[in-house]
Amino acid sequence: MDWRKVMVTSIVMAAISLGGLRAASAEDPAATAKELRAVRRELRRLEAERASDRKLIQQLEQKVDQMASQNAELRATNTQVKNEQTKTGQEISQIRSQIAAGSSKQQFSDSISSYFGTHTLSINGGAAVQYVYDAQPGAIDDLAHQSQNTFLFNWEPLFLYRPTDWILFEGELEAAFGPDGTGVDLPLADFHFYLNDYLTVVAGLFDQPFGDWYETQSPLWINRFITAPLPFGVAPVVPPGEMGVQLRGGLQWGALGQDFDYTAWMGDGPSYSEPVAGAAVNSPTPVLFAQTNGKSYGGRLRVYPLPIDANLGRLELGASTYNGKWLDGSWYNAWGLDYNYFIGNLQTRGEWMQAYRSIPGGPSDNRQGWYVQAGYFLSGLDLPFGPQVNNIIHKLEPLIRYSGVNQHFVAIDDVQGGLRNAFTGGLVPDFGVSGSPALFAPHSREVALGLDYWIAPSIVWQNEFDIELPEAGGTFVAADGTMTPVGGVPNDRAFLTQFAIGF
Amino acid sequence: MKKLVLFPILALALSVLIAARAFAAGTDQNEKRALFRQGARLWPVYCAQCHNARPGSEFSPQQWDAIMMHMRTLGNIPAQDSRALLEYLKGSR
Repeated sequence: MDWRKVMVTSIVMAAISLGGLRAASAEDPAATAKELRAVRRELRRLEAERASDRKLIQQLEQKVDQMASQNAELRATNTQVKNEQTKTGQEISQIRSQIAAGSSKQQFSDSISSYFGTHTLSINGGAAVQYVYDAQPGAIDDLAHQSQNTFLFNWEPLFLYRPTDWILFEGELEAAFGPDGTGVDLPLADFHFYLNDYLTVVAGLFDQPFGDWYETQSPLWINRFITAPLPFGVAPVVPPGEMGVQLRGGLQWGALGQDFDYTAWMGDGPSYSEPVAGAAVNSPTPVLFAQTNGKSYGGRLRVYPLPIDANLGRLELGASTYNGKWLDGSWYNAWGLDYNYFIGNLQTRGEWMQAYRSIPGGPSDNRQGWYVQAGYFLSGLDLPFGPQVNNIIHKLEPLIRYSGVNQHFVAIDDVQGGLRNAFTGGLVPDFGVSGSPALFAPHSREVALGLDYWIAPSIVWQNEFDIELPEAGGTFVAADGTMTPVGGVPNDRAFLTQFAIGF
Repeated sequence: MKKLVLFPILALALSVLIAARAFAAGTDQNEKRALFRQGARLWPVYCAQCHNARPGSEFSPQQWDAIMMHMRTLGNIPAQDSRALLEYLKGSR
């Protein structure tokens, strides 16, 4: 019941009653008193009803408040449930994403690392298949020779074993199938001890730290050409390898990229195929020879003057020495200079070296050797032949190299093959050389033109055309020491192609 | 009484240790990021002076540990630069 309506009704009825009362009192006082009592009773009844209604209203208001409170609680609960539902949904979604994505690379790497242990074995190195064509037009005097039309294969696995973060073992095998059949050599086997940031000790059989060629440029996929430059080919000026100990390290002396490094070594020293002038260098020196050698020693310094941020390219300047004894106190001294510079697509490097060797009972054996080469990646060259052709052109690197060796004497047995080439008995190439007789000339010269096609940073198809241009002069030395002046030396051409990978 | 004094000292020391460790961890991450950036600058220069620079994806992080030791010796690469190159090669896979 609406109490406002009740009040209005009561007031109206009271007014009507009073109106009637006045009318009645004017007519009859007794009747008027009676009506007044009736009106009063009615008023009391109305007041009672009103009180009852108020009480009822209060009760209803309490119930409404209670319901409102319950409603608010329900709403809060509902909101909380919704929030938790959303959070749960997000968590489920995240878990699903993680399951779908798998573990992160870092987590996977850590898992693999912990599974395989802390010792690491990495097999790297290179492999190459070669084809050599060398139609030799003539020979040096009456020495035997033969044309080359041959496939060769080289496999040079490099094993790196890292038992801890300051010790490394490296060992390399050279397995090849060439003119002599299959053969395996051990050019490298040594330990590296990283004693601090500035000193590393290397002990064992190592590549000669003389110039850049032996240590860093000779691997199959790193050499931009197929053949070695003449000073490192069939008549090397300095021994390719050494048994001994090195101390080496590098430091930054200026801005980033301005570095200086050093290598000092001591080893068993050089030895030769025969104790005559012009004999080929053994590598490494067999223990039999080492017994009669005094120890040799040498050093190498390099400096990098250009800071990286100058964007002037990378320039390396190096100097090397090799001093020691080779047979019963006979002395051997060598020194060399080298450079390497690259900027953008252009790279050029070169080395020059000189060696002096005393011969027991004979003239001293002096040799000089050099090479300079340059290559340019065509990756920035766009020609109007369409994208497919340009894509091929961008992977090409044309190259040119000029190299030479001067030596007064050449041992005949080395040219004719001796024991190494007993199978064929004639002039055959060492692995990776063209085999041209002109290479064995005392004053050999060679222009090599190359064209490399880089499939990937360490996968390359190489092509090389060699032009041998030996100069006259020099002397052949027989095993018994007999000397014969070298007569006519043919100019020769050779073509080589090779597919090489580094791994 | 002694225990009452000792406890807040220990709590304070522990808090300092935890804070220092958290700071050190943050510093390690900053150093790694700095090494990575330096390695990214060195990689195309130092590697290419001898051979084509090979991307980090070619070998596993464990292999790079061994290969970089080999390269550090051959190139006589300064130790800090060697660490930067290694961080870059392992982090750019």
